[in-house]
Amino acid sequence: MTRALWRHVRLAFFLGGVGLHRLSAYRVDFVLGAGAFLIRVGLQTAVVGLVFRQIPVLGGWSYHEVLFLLGFSLLPRGLDHLFTDQLWELGRKLVQRGEFHRYLIRPVNPLFSLLSERFFHPDALGELAVGTFLVIWSGSSIGLDLTPLQWAVAPLLVLCGALIHTSVKLLFASLSFWTVTSLPSMYAANQVSEFAAYPLDIYHSSLRALLTWVLPFAFTSYVPCVYLLTGAAGLVVWLPVVTAGALALALAVWRRGVNAYEMTGS
Amino acid sequence: MNRSPLPEVTSGTPVRPAARVRHYLPFATAGLQSLLQYRSSFVTTGITAAAGAAVSVFLWRAVYAGSPPGGGPGGFTAGSITTYLLMAQILQILHANRVDDEVAAEVYRGDVAVMLVRPVSYPVVRFFACLPVVAANAVLVGVPVLGLFTLLVPLTVPRPADVLLFLVSAVLSVLLAFLVNLLTGMTGFVTTNTWGVRMVKQSVVAFFAGQLVPLALMPGPLRALASALPFQGMVDAPLALLLGRYDGVADVAGVLARQLGWVAGLTVLSAVLWRAALSRLEVLGG
Repeated sequence: MTRALWRHVRLAFFLGGVGLHRLSAYRVDFVLGAGAFLIRVGLQTAVVGLVFRQIPVLGGWSYHEVLFLLGFSLLPRGLDHLFTDQLWELGRKLVQRGEFHRYLIRPVNPLFSLLSERFFHPDALGELAVGTFLVIWSGSSIGLDLTPLQWAVAPLLVLCGALIHTSVKLLFASLSFWTVTSLPSMYAANQVSEFAAYPLDIYHSSLRALLTWVLPFAFTSYVPCVYLLTGAAGLVVWLPVVTAGALALALAVWRRGVNAYEMTGS
Repeated sequence: MNRSPLPEVTSGTPVRPAARVRHYLPFATAGLQSLLQYRSSFVTTGITAAAGAAVSVFLWRAVYAGSPPGGGPGGFTAGSITTYLLMAQILQILHANRVDDEVAAEVYRGDVAVMLVRPVSYPVVRFFACLPVVAANAVLVGVPVLGLFTLLVPLTVPRPADVLLFLVSAVLSVLLAFLVNLLTGMTGFVTTNTWGVRMVKQSVVAFFAGQLVPLALMPGPLRALASALPFQGMVDAPLALLLGRYDGVADVAGVLARQLGWVAGLTVLSAVLWRAALSRLEVLGG
């Protein structure tokens, strides 16, 4: 068991290195991909700026608090994006083109095998860079002073948030085992995650409930930010439970999907 | 019936436009057939569009919650800003013609070579093939999303004359979206990461077209920049006409003329770039 785990970790490092090498081979592609995120998030920040030209407070949140939330929401998203974006390929075409079987015949876990095909998506570095910048800049503008406990918990909040993103992506990508392609529903889930970039207080209560307990994107940004900004524990104590539940559900669906997979005859 | 495989090229006399259109119609019907293979995707596309509209509607309704009924910033009321953002999303559905996607993929895979040996113009084929996509999106996604929001949030009812002006302007915006996506797809000739290019295009168009923030709410220099770009004709222009945000006939003519000008300009630009790209195209044999 430990030996198998150790082997996977070593492989992951090796394949991550391969990903980094690819970075230097396709330099323009890297600049385009990471730059695309810079532009996207830059314009999203501009939208927040334009909103705050009209009002001083949005749903009880100040300008810098909203930017902190926006920046923080990019960290779990970027971390997830860095390692698991191969799942989009599963939803898009692997089942449709009958190419999935090649992950089943390798001597490693099929999920690991799938993700490791591209373990390092450098595009995500743009997301992480902007997120980090926004969090640090807006945090210091507010004069945010974290307690040692908050400092210790912060990386775990990002990690759990990333796992929630991964779970939702894995769940919707796995639907393709039954529906052949699940790209449209992955897009839909991804669009819903955009709600998490703004304070949940501005949404209708039914939408808030959906984002908290059904597609729990609130736990990737809003809930951790409330804890970091105000120190009030609130919903954040539920984060480990929600993360574990989401991951367990997604993995169960993935396993059933792999077992249900039938290769197309072509 | 002329049995020559290249009737247009081999015949010395110019082909009448109507006959030329007839050559391209099969591409439109084929596009429709492949589209209807995946009917359930319209439901999920609708959910995506509704969620996209809801984000900006909630965001801006929070801004206009306390504004006076006579009109808040930029002359919008809570009702008219909601109508603006919702219709912006509907227009975006009409603009999602997948042309950028498909052109980029065909260039990347080299499939474009197959199209080049046919006696038809590839960009025109793409135009006809995207028409059913636009129509299906309008009927199967746009109308239900509009209906859903009509039930959920108060909207302003436009004047009938403004609706007609909007429809004319919306057709021009669909043409603009086709040209912008064609140009985006053609970047496949110079880079393999067309995904990044498409994402930049999407964000830049959404912002400068006024889909996320009406141009009237932007500060002076930014508004001037957005007005100078062709994207303004994709969302802001049709919605200015729909919501009656214009001064008299001259203003309407100016809005439509600017859209037409950009359609003509981008058509010339994509024709020139298409020729230039073909001259440097290399496809590996298979």
